[in-house]
Amino acid sequence: MSLVGKKCESISLLDSSKDDIKPCNITPDDVLRLDRITDTYLCSPEANVYDIDFTRFKIRDLETGTVLFEIAKPPTDFGVDNEGADDVQEEPLDPNAGRFVRYQFTPQFLKLKTVGATVEFTVGARPVSHFRMIEKHFFRDTLLKTFDFEFGFCIPFSRNTCEHIYEFPTLPPDLVEEMIAAPFETCSDSFYFVDNHLVMHNKADYAYNGGINN
Amino acid sequence: MGFLTILKKLRQKEKEMRILMLGLDNAGKTTILKRFNGEPIDTISPTLGFNIKTLEHRGYKLNIWDVGGQKSLRSYWKNYFESTDGVAWVVDSADARRLADCGRELRALLREERLAGATLLVLANKADLPGALSLQEIREALDLDSIKTHHWRIIRCSAVTGENLLEGMDWMLDDIASRIFTLD
Repeated sequence: MSLVGKKCESISLLDSSKDDIKPCNITPDDVLRLDRITDTYLCSPEANVYDIDFTRFKIRDLETGTVLFEIAKPPTDFGVDNEGADDVQEEPLDPNAGRFVRYQFTPQFLKLKTVGATVEFTVGARPVSHFRMIEKHFFRDTLLKTFDFEFGFCIPFSRNTCEHIYEFPTLPPDLVEEMIAAPFETCSDSFYFVDNHLVMHNKADYAYNGGINN
Repeated sequence: MGFLTILKKLRQKEKEMRILMLGLDNAGKTTILKRFNGEPIDTISPTLGFNIKTLEHRGYKLNIWDVGGQKSLRSYWKNYFESTDGVAWVVDSADARRLADCGRELRALLREERLAGATLLVLANKADLPGALSLQEIREALDLDSIKTHHWRIIRCSAVTGENLLEGMDWMLDDIASRIFTLD
């Protein structure tokens, strides 16, 4: 079958040794009100004091049962990987690496009816309460979809999954054409809150012209 | 208009239900959840946290929470009780050895104030296994007939064959709906 989706950037590891809580005053209401994609990240990578780490994304088509897209952190990434470390010159790390993902889909993706989107994440030593995700998808300045979901409590050192099965929003045909013609102008902001404090902000952009031009 | 009526009206707008799946480890909670949602069930490892599914079924928006059943995780179950409309208690029908343990945990659950209004569906899973106990044996071992505080029902099922999963879920949804979505 044809390649429906591929991811161009890898999910890189976030440094997981933070102790100080950086105050972040962004509230859920603030991001719910946003009417366009943000220019910057609204919190620093260090705001993730709970060591919340996304380890898998998966999208499946419920009609056919096909997994359209899946990316998981390789298990080796979970431990300390020192192999050959002595010889390798450390490259300066982009502090925002791992907060941005680029997706490339084929046009067929926009014709799906029912999809299941799964995330898997681990949490660190501290219990997490009122864990909430707000995700906004835009094409240019048009809001396509908002997800607002409360995971609630997360057990220390737990590995958790969440699959949202939903009807794909019906988009007007001319908008679909525009989205296909304008790769990476479809974007999303994902905000994660713990007790109403913003602890993570990830971004993604999307192209739907896979298999057309390249 | 009473508080309950207002609550009912609020809920009715979205027809949303929160289902909590609990039971001892290895009872088959995650397998049931996956089977119910049409996912492959060949590679399922112990749940060390939760698995959530949100989906639409018969016009209801279901939020199903499957929380790991290992002993070390059970003390965290209480964090998931709030706003629960239905509890699916999953039993391994072939695990006679731990049936008493299973019954004790269920009793403790039913004493929880925050689950007071919840419908209880006991899923006697793995009923297709050769060594599985009968529904009657499980019903007696768990002393289900003494439960007066909750609407309950026990049903034999198999996550592997899919037997009765939909029937059980639909009974629970109907029972919840008759409590929270029906006005006057």
